[in-house]
Amino acid sequence: MTGQAAAPAAGSAVAVARAATLRRRAGLLAVLGVAIVLPFIPPFDGEDYRRWLVGAAFMAAQAVAFDFTAGYINIVNFGFAAFVGLGGYTSGLLAVDLGVSPWIGMFIGGGVSGLVGLLTGALTLRLRGIYAAVMAWFVGLALMGLVRNLPDITRGSLGLSVPLLLDTPGNLPYYYVILGMLVITMVVLMAVIRSHIGLAFRAIGQNLNAARASGINPTRYLVVNFALSCAFAGWLGGFYAHYYGILTPDVMLTSHTVEVLAIAYIGGRGSLWGAAVVAFPLSVGVEYIKTQFSTLPGVHLVLYGLLLIVVMIYRPGGVAAAVRSLDAWISRRGRPVVPEAPPAT
Amino acid sequence: MTTATNLRQVPFLRRFMSFTWLTLGVAALVMVWSAFAQPSILVNTLVTGGMWAIMAAGLALIFGIMNVPNFAHGELFLIGSFTAFTVFSPIQDALRDDPSLTWLKVIGPFPGMLAALLVGALVGVLLENLLFRPLRRRSREQWVMNTFLLTAGVSVVLINGYRLTLGNNFRGISHYWDVRPIELLGVPISVDRAAVLVIALGTIALFSAFLLRTRTGRAMRAVAQDETGAQMAGIDLNRIFTLTMAVGCGLAALAGASLLFLFPSFPDVGLQPLYTAWFVVILAGLGNVQGAIAGAFIVALLQNLTITYTAVGWVDVVPTGVIILILLFKPSGFFGSGVKGVWEQ
Repeated sequence: MTGQAAAPAAGSAVAVARAATLRRRAGLLAVLGVAIVLPFIPPFDGEDYRRWLVGAAFMAAQAVAFDFTAGYINIVNFGFAAFVGLGGYTSGLLAVDLGVSPWIGMFIGGGVSGLVGLLTGALTLRLRGIYAAVMAWFVGLALMGLVRNLPDITRGSLGLSVPLLLDTPGNLPYYYVILGMLVITMVVLMAVIRSHIGLAFRAIGQNLNAARASGINPTRYLVVNFALSCAFAGWLGGFYAHYYGILTPDVMLTSHTVEVLAIAYIGGRGSLWGAAVVAFPLSVGVEYIKTQFSTLPGVHLVLYGLLLIVVMIYRPGGVAAAVRSLDAWISRRGRPVVPEAPPAT
Repeated sequence: MTTATNLRQVPFLRRFMSFTWLTLGVAALVMVWSAFAQPSILVNTLVTGGMWAIMAAGLALIFGIMNVPNFAHGELFLIGSFTAFTVFSPIQDALRDDPSLTWLKVIGPFPGMLAALLVGALVGVLLENLLFRPLRRRSREQWVMNTFLLTAGVSVVLINGYRLTLGNNFRGISHYWDVRPIELLGVPISVDRAAVLVIALGTIALFSAFLLRTRTGRAMRAVAQDETGAQMAGIDLNRIFTLTMAVGCGLAALAGASLLFLFPSFPDVGLQPLYTAWFVVILAGLGNVQGAIAGAFIVALLQNLTITYTAVGWVDVVPTGVIILILLFKPSGFFGSGVKGVWEQ
């Protein structure tokens, strides 16, 4: 292809990319708009459905924070639920013992989780991926064991009663709080991903040795990423504590990590928004199934597990990849007939 | 790790200065001491260690040959315990009706264990053919992480599928052999426990002989060392992978069957064996089968020391802490691993 022919093609490629970005932003804003008005549309305006929506938004935010680590640096934090629980317990205990306001406690909980995540990461992330995943799992098990075995402080399996975040009985205000937290989580993490730090994350996730060869110190970036994800997990755990008002060590069970993980991977690894969008229908649908089949315990987890297996084997990109290929198809159709653009470098 | 101190360059001292030998020495000393001070620690270590060795050897085998970190290994334990229960309970009823059947009293437990071994092997074959082979055909990119998540999905489906179909109740027996306990080092030890130790040692011996002495075993070790090379030498990889899953999963199911009197069959029974096997494998170095057998006894010793000198609840916390500390000094595990090159990518 000659230079003269390439120039207009490249120009149109930029235009197409810009259009795609605009479309994506418009799509996300539309989804957010739907999420905002959803609790007023029947049948979602009942208290049951609103409670499920709170749960869905909580799952979505967790899945986004999880995907930040799993999808970009390719480290699966198997102790994720324990970090959520750690933040929740920190905030809850501060409120119970010292009377700290839950609004402040949530952030302190996030800080503590982030700090423990930083230590865990510093110890394990110089090891290869699978070691780090398993060690994070061990740390999670140890944290759960600690909470269980220190009943003088945490009341152990009896459960810790925690003051509520708001003094309303309705679920609607909580829904907007957690929706706001979801948006903050997404905006902050997406901003990090767009920055040069995010570029380093992706380089490390794709090929660690190549990233190292081009002058990136992988361990430092891995630890920053891991700690940030844990901090968000702890912050969200604070919301969990002060929404449900009761904390038991079961918050930290590995099966909760697997639920978050399933949603993150069904949504599409390495996209952040895929996890957030998919969490709503999945989580609400699962709650619906739970109420329909109350005689069949665990049916929702079987569904999550099967979906995860299918996605892992046949659709590794999840829903995000499907949306992306749809988007590419729209771009192709809306484009004037020009010679095929040279492959992007 | 290649950073050798000067002392370790001396050939004679090298063996004894290494961290591995120091720790093994400490473990041996503790065992000898416990034989005099607290013989029950030694006896329990041998009994539980034998079964953890079988579990961990299967896990290490599957990882070493297929590079699959099997998160569903505990569910094979569950399948084994359920199969053994199903086969053994009619035998137990027959014995209750007619206590004069001495021969049945002696051989009664074995059909259940054998059935568990076979069912476990069958499930392993199914997992390889239905899940791992399609994934291998699609892509081997990020294989270790992907199969880890895949098996996490399998684990969730199996646990909750069991809960759905068979409910949450415990299916257990109080003993396999209804005879008086024998005495070892002044500790009364039930015949069941002694039998478990014998079964474990026998299985380990057979398993080692199979890996080290037979042609198929050699082919398996060849695949673990270098897949492409093994393929060029005319080894059918699919056959080896199927066999590996059959052996590894069969061993886990056998462990579940043999320990039925300690771990009754219920949905979450596989959890503790799962993470114990993972403790062992991480401690020993992923994919190192012989190391896993030795590591199993060290982990069992840690657990029994914890149970004896603190409360039972700490059994997850203390060994985890110790393992994290050990990994600080020896990140690639205790005995290292000969298969690093394949999976470190």
